[in-house]
Amino acid sequence: MSCDQTRLYLHAYLDDELGVAEAVRFEAHLADCPDCQTAQSEALAIRAAIRGSDLYYRPSQALALRVNAAVRQAARPRSNGMQWMAIAAAVIVTIGLALFLTLRNRQPGGQELLARAVVDSHIRSLQANHLVDVPSSDHHTVKPWFQGRLDFSPPVPDLAAQGWPLEGGRLDYIDGKTVAAIVYERRKHQVNVFLWPAGQSPDEPVLQQTAQGYHVVHWTANGMTYWITSDLNPAELQQFAQLLRQAN
Amino acid sequence: MTPKEKLSRFETEISPHLGSAYNLARWLTRNHEDAEDVVQEAFLRAFSAFESFRGSDARPWLLAIIRNTSMTFMSRKRGAAQSTDFEEVARSASTPEADPETQLLASCSQEQIQDALAKLPSEFREAIVLRELEELSYKEIATVTGVPMGTVMSRISRAREGLRGLLTHRRKGAGNR
Repeated sequence: MSCDQTRLYLHAYLDDELGVAEAVRFEAHLADCPDCQTAQSEALAIRAAIRGSDLYYRPSQALALRVNAAVRQAARPRSNGMQWMAIAAAVIVTIGLALFLTLRNRQPGGQELLARAVVDSHIRSLQANHLVDVPSSDHHTVKPWFQGRLDFSPPVPDLAAQGWPLEGGRLDYIDGKTVAAIVYERRKHQVNVFLWPAGQSPDEPVLQQTAQGYHVVHWTANGMTYWITSDLNPAELQQFAQLLRQAN
Repeated sequence: MTPKEKLSRFETEISPHLGSAYNLARWLTRNHEDAEDVVQEAFLRAFSAFESFRGSDARPWLLAIIRNTSMTFMSRKRGAAQSTDFEEVARSASTPEADPETQLLASCSQEQIQDALAKLPSEFREAIVLRELEELSYKEIATVTGVPMGTVMSRISRAREGLRGLLTHRRKGAGNR
């Protein structure tokens, strides 16, 4: 083993993270090399200095209470006093929705829930000002960023020439999975494109729906499920969906 | 899993790691209020993604969410210059010197070490926090940060060398004045 290699492995060796074979070769070199021995004692010294000081930041009791309360709130969004009314309202809404769906012969409830989840994520991304993890208008930057963070590679087409510049990408959670969220912009309106692998699901045509006043466009093609939402008007959103389908 | 079971499992498996969550967020954001906001946002994200948590190791899972939330949070406040001088300091530290340096390091105060760690670029800072403060294995660090083991190894190595450079440099500089 050379000195360069020994220095590379030095810290892993001290942390007991080196494989047996490498550790043996490392020790053999170290035994005969005064320079590397000096490096080792310095590495031990810096590690001891770090470990010997109290660098741990501890949370306040108030934070624990605040986070607990927020999680419980998320787990049960309605307050107790309103529960009966809320249940009654939910029953009425459910019956109404069931009737509506039967009459209109629309997609089943799963899609409605998903559309809601998509809109919730969209709103959250704007509210929390948490729009992108990787801010870039260059699709050669955004696409590789997802590598290693997702178990699929989302297509990130460049649609700037058509009037839809890229803003960036981020990870999001929808329907219990980690999904890619790609953000495009149109006259200061943000468009969130959520996508994930469709699994065994067959291709589905473009379908438009509305949730909480936002228009949502959904389709499945080439093994990917797409959900797009924005506060743009439905015609423009449809146009964007077509561009995206053609690009992919 | 009913909503009630979900909440109770979450509170047994995830909530106890609030301390680790805050510590990492505090080091990554370098600010108390920001860290608290990151922790709250990350816990809500973790709760809504909890169905997808299958593994037995809750702490790395939560820390990965904390890390992503912090990164996003910081990119909003972007402008924080990535210190290029760190590279120089890290390089200059690799010249092996005599033993006095070891003694110099041993005499560093807690504040000096804290300052030096806060000065490291975030990928090296998080490597030190996860390794030395959270005592995660290289493999767990690779999971949290989403990079290969080899990268973890070189980041920890360069981070410690960088700290050594910052600490010995400053002491020497102060001594010469």
